[in-house]
Amino acid sequence: MTSNDTSVSRRSLLKAAGGAAASASVAGYVGTGSMDDVQDQEGGTVTYARGNDSGTLDPQNTTSGEDVKVINQMYDTLIDFEPNQTSLQAGLATEYSLDGTTATLTLREGVQFHNGEEFTASDFIATYRRFTDSDYQYYPGDEYISAYGPFTLGNWVESVEPGGAAGGGAGTTAGGTETDGGTTTEAAMVDQETTTGTGTETAAGTTTAAEDGTETAAGGTETVTPTEGDDQYGLTIELSQQYAPFLRNLAMFASSVLSRQAIQEYGTDLNQNPVGTGAFQFENWDQGNQRIRLSANGDYWGEGPFVDEVVFTAIGQNTSRAQTLVSGGADIIDGLGAQSSQIVDNSDATELIRTQGINIGYMAFNMARFEPFRDRRVRQAISYAVDTEAIVNTIFQGIAVQASQPIPEQVLGYNEELDPYPHDPEQAQSLLDEAGYGDGFEFELATFQNPRTYNPSPIQAAQTVRSNLDEVGISVTVNQQPFNPFLEYTSQGQHDACFLGWMTDNGDPDNFYYALLHPGIDVEDVPEGQDWVSFDTEGFNTTNRAAWANTEFMEVVEEGQGTLDEDQRAELYREAGQIAHDEAPWVFIDHAEELRGVANRIGNFQIAPISGPLLKRVRIQG
Amino acid sequence: MISKRFVIKRLLLLVPVLFGVATFVFAILHLSPGDPARVIAGQRASEEFVRQIRTELGLNDPIWVQYGRFLFEAVQLDFGQSYQIQRGQPVTEVLRYKLPVTLEMAIYGQLFGILLGIPAGLLGAVKQDAVSDHVTRIGALTGISVPIYWSGPLVILLFAQVLGWFPASGRIASEFSIEPITGVITFDTLISGNFAAFQSAAMHLLLPSLVIGIYSMALISRMMRSSMLEVIRQDYMRTARAKGQGSKITVMKHGFQNALIPVVTVIGIQFGSLLGGAVLTETVFGIAGIGTLLVRAIQVGDYPIVQGTVLTFAFLFTMVNLLVDITYSYLDPRIEQ
Repeated sequence: MTSNDTSVSRRSLLKAAGGAAASASVAGYVGTGSMDDVQDQEGGTVTYARGNDSGTLDPQNTTSGEDVKVINQMYDTLIDFEPNQTSLQAGLATEYSLDGTTATLTLREGVQFHNGEEFTASDFIATYRRFTDSDYQYYPGDEYISAYGPFTLGNWVESVEPGGAAGGGAGTTAGGTETDGGTTTEAAMVDQETTTGTGTETAAGTTTAAEDGTETAAGGTETVTPTEGDDQYGLTIELSQQYAPFLRNLAMFASSVLSRQAIQEYGTDLNQNPVGTGAFQFENWDQGNQRIRLSANGDYWGEGPFVDEVVFTAIGQNTSRAQTLVSGGADIIDGLGAQSSQIVDNSDATELIRTQGINIGYMAFNMARFEPFRDRRVRQAISYAVDTEAIVNTIFQGIAVQASQPIPEQVLGYNEELDPYPHDPEQAQSLLDEAGYGDGFEFELATFQNPRTYNPSPIQAAQTVRSNLDEVGISVTVNQQPFNPFLEYTSQGQHDACFLGWMTDNGDPDNFYYALLHPGIDVEDVPEGQDWVSFDTEGFNTTNRAAWANTEFMEVVEEGQGTLDEDQRAELYREAGQIAHDEAPWVFIDHAEELRGVANRIGNFQIAPISGPLLKRVRIQG
Repeated sequence: MISKRFVIKRLLLLVPVLFGVATFVFAILHLSPGDPARVIAGQRASEEFVRQIRTELGLNDPIWVQYGRFLFEAVQLDFGQSYQIQRGQPVTEVLRYKLPVTLEMAIYGQLFGILLGIPAGLLGAVKQDAVSDHVTRIGALTGISVPIYWSGPLVILLFAQVLGWFPASGRIASEFSIEPITGVITFDTLISGNFAAFQSAAMHLLLPSLVIGIYSMALISRMMRSSMLEVIRQDYMRTARAKGQGSKITVMKHGFQNALIPVVTVIGIQFGSLLGGAVLTETVFGIAGIGTLLVRAIQVGDYPIVQGTVLTFAFLFTMVNLLVDITYSYLDPRIEQ
C-alpha cells in the first residue's frame, strides 16, 4: 500500500463514517500507518488561550468546561457530534443504534491508545465501570468521580457487554489475534482485573473477579465469557428504560473512552496522566506557567491533526487575553466579553468569529416559596414587564439573542412559532390587576455576581429587572452572591426568584426540558390541583429552581424521553416549548453567543459549542 | 553581630502568629456560606451525590473535630488536597509550582523599586527644590496614586499592542518548554543553558515587574528623600561639614547609612504589599502565581488552597519582617535590645 493509497482510503473512510463494518477493518490497517500522517501535517504550534488553567485532565473527574477543552483533544468518544451541530456522527464506533432499551455499537478496529494499546470493547467497559460502579476495583471514589457519572451513564445503563448484533464482521483481521492473547485470559480481560501475561497475574485476576461478582451480583459484565474474538469490536448496552438521549450522552466528553490499562496503572493519577485515542497526546503540564502542551498523535485514526503541537495557556483577564492575541502571543482565544471582542475586531491581524451558543439564561420563579408566583398571570405579567430586549442588546451588548422558550434553535424540537415576550408594562399591569396583585408586592431576586456565558452582566441585568418591575409596582431586592454559595442557596429553594442558566451537555432537548423544568418525581406524586412541589419532596430535582411541576408538561417531556423517532420527538418538544412559554415558570432571557478570536495565520477553525475546540482540523497558513 | 537568641526569639514568635492566622482563615471559611461538597459536585449533581461527598470529606463532623484535624495536618505541612483548581493534588504541591512565580516577580519588582527609587530619592534630597527634585517628586506621587489595574493594561496597550516591543502576557513564549527546576523561570532557563528561552522569559517579566515595582519605587524614593533631608540637617552632619569633610558626596556616605533605616522599613513593608499587588499584576498579565491562585480559590470555594495560600502569605510576611529587623540591627546595633 503506497502512502497515496492510504490517505485516499482514509478520507473515503471518513466520508463513509458510520458506514459498513467492512470499512472499519480498513481503518484497522490505515490507522497504524503513522508515516503517512507526517506528510499531512503542515506542522507548527498552535497556542490556545483561555481564562483559566485546567484542574484535571481526566474526563471522569470534572464538570468544568475549561477542563473539557483540553480533554477533547486527547480523548475520543464512541459517537461524535458533527462540527457545530447537535447531530451525531461516527466516532470510535463506526455503527451505532438504539432500539428499545438496547444500544448496539460496532467499534472501530485498529485504533491505538497513546500508550500503544489497542482499543477494544473492554476499554469502554472498564471506562464505564470506573465511572459508575463503586464496587469496581479501580473505582476512584465518590469525591473523585464527577456528577456526570450517574448523570450521563449510571442512571440509565443496566449493563454493558462486549459483542453485539453487528459483531464487526466475521473474523476481521487485527482484532482477535493481536490483542486477545488466548481464550483463557480473555475472560479476565473482560473482567478488567488483569492484563494478559503471566499465570500468576491471571490467577489473581480471577479471584478478584470472583469477589467482585458476589458483591455485584446484578452487574452482568462480571460473568460474561466472550466466545468469539470479534466480540471485542462490538458493544451491547442495556438501558434500564427507553431513553432517547442516550446516544448523545455517549457523545459527551464525560463518556470519553479511557484505556483499560491506564485505568489500572494510574488510578486517580489519571488526572495528570491522560491516555486517550485522540488526535493529540499529552506532553507536559507546566503549572507555573498554566500551560498544557500536547503533541500530534501520528497514529490518529481520523483526519488530522495538521499541526505538530497545541499549547493551552491561561490568561485571566479578557482584555489581556485579547491583547495577547493581537500582539501575536496566542493563536486562538475564547471567553471574550464586549470590550475584549472589540480589540479583536479592530485588529488587522485577527478575526472575531461568532456563533449562537447552545445555552439558555433565565430568571426562575420559585413557586414553592413565593405564593404570588403560583398564579400564572403573575408570572406572565413579570415576563411582559421585564425588558429582555434591552437586557440582551444593551446590558449584554448584543452578544446574545432573546429567548422565547427553554431551548435555542439548533436543538431538536425548537418551536419556530414562539416569540419572546415583548416589553409591555401595560399588559403586565392589567394581568397583575386581574390576578389581584394590582398594588404590587415585594420579592427577592437572587443572582450570582460574576459573569457567566449565558449571563455576562448578572448584576446589571438584575438592576434592570428591578427598575422594570418598579414600573408595575413590584419591588425587587437583589441578593447577589458568589456562584457556589449561590448554587447552594438556590438548590435549597431559599430564593423567591433567581437568575440561572445552562450550557448544554449533549445538545439534546431532554437536557434542557427534563434537566431544568421537570421535578424528577412521578406525575401521580404531584398534589392535585397544584403545578409546583416543595423543594424537600423526596427525589425532587433541585436543578428545577422554579419548583415547577406541571403534569401536562411532565407527561410530554417524559414521552419525549422515551420516543426514539426523531420527528415524533421534535413534535413533542415543540409542544413542551409551547407549554413552557405560556405557563412562564421562568422569564426566558437569552441564548448567548460563542465568540472566539482567531489569528489570521490560523486556517480551518470552526466553533464547536458542544465538543470543541476542534483543533485537530486547524492548519497554520503561510 | 546578630545574636542567635534574637533570631530564635523572633522565630518562636512565628508560632502564635501562624496559629492565629490558621484559626482565623479556618473560621472565616467555615462560617461563610457555601458548601465545598457542592463545589466539588457542581451544578448537575443530585443532593444525594453531594451528601456522599460531604461524608467522604468529613464535612459532616462537628466543626471542632474538623478544626482539630486541620491544625493537626497543618503542623505536618499537610494542607489537604485541592477541591477544584488542581483537583486532587496536594496543596503543598500546587504551592510549590506557584510560589516561585510570585516571588520571582515580586523580587524583580522590588529590585526595580530599590534601584530606581533610592537614587531618585537621593537626587531629590541633594538637589532639593531643583527641577530634578520636582520631577522625581511628581513621578513618585503619580506612582503611588496610579493603581495597578489601570497602569497594567495601559502599559500592555502601549508596549505590547501598539509598539509591539514586549509580549502582552505570560512568562515565556509558548514555543519554549522549560522543565521547572526551581520554578524561577529566568533562573531555570539559564541553568538549562537555553539563552533564547532566557531572553524570552526576561522580556516577558519586564513589564509586570515594572508595573509592580512602580508603587514601591515611588514610596522608596519619597522615603529616601525625606529621610535623607532629615539626616543632612542633623548636628553631626553639620559638624562633619564644618570640620571640612570634603564635598557633599562624602557627607552622603556618613548620612546614607543613617538615612537608610526608615527606607529599609519601607522596603520590608513594601515587600508585603508587593505580594498583595501580585494578585492584581498576575491577573492583568496572566501570570500563574499564588496571587491569582488565591483569588480563584476564593471564587470557586477551594478551601484547602485558600488555607494553604493564606498561611504561606502570613509566613512570608513574617519572614520578611524578621529580615527587616535583622537588617536594622546590622545598621543600628542598638535596635537588638
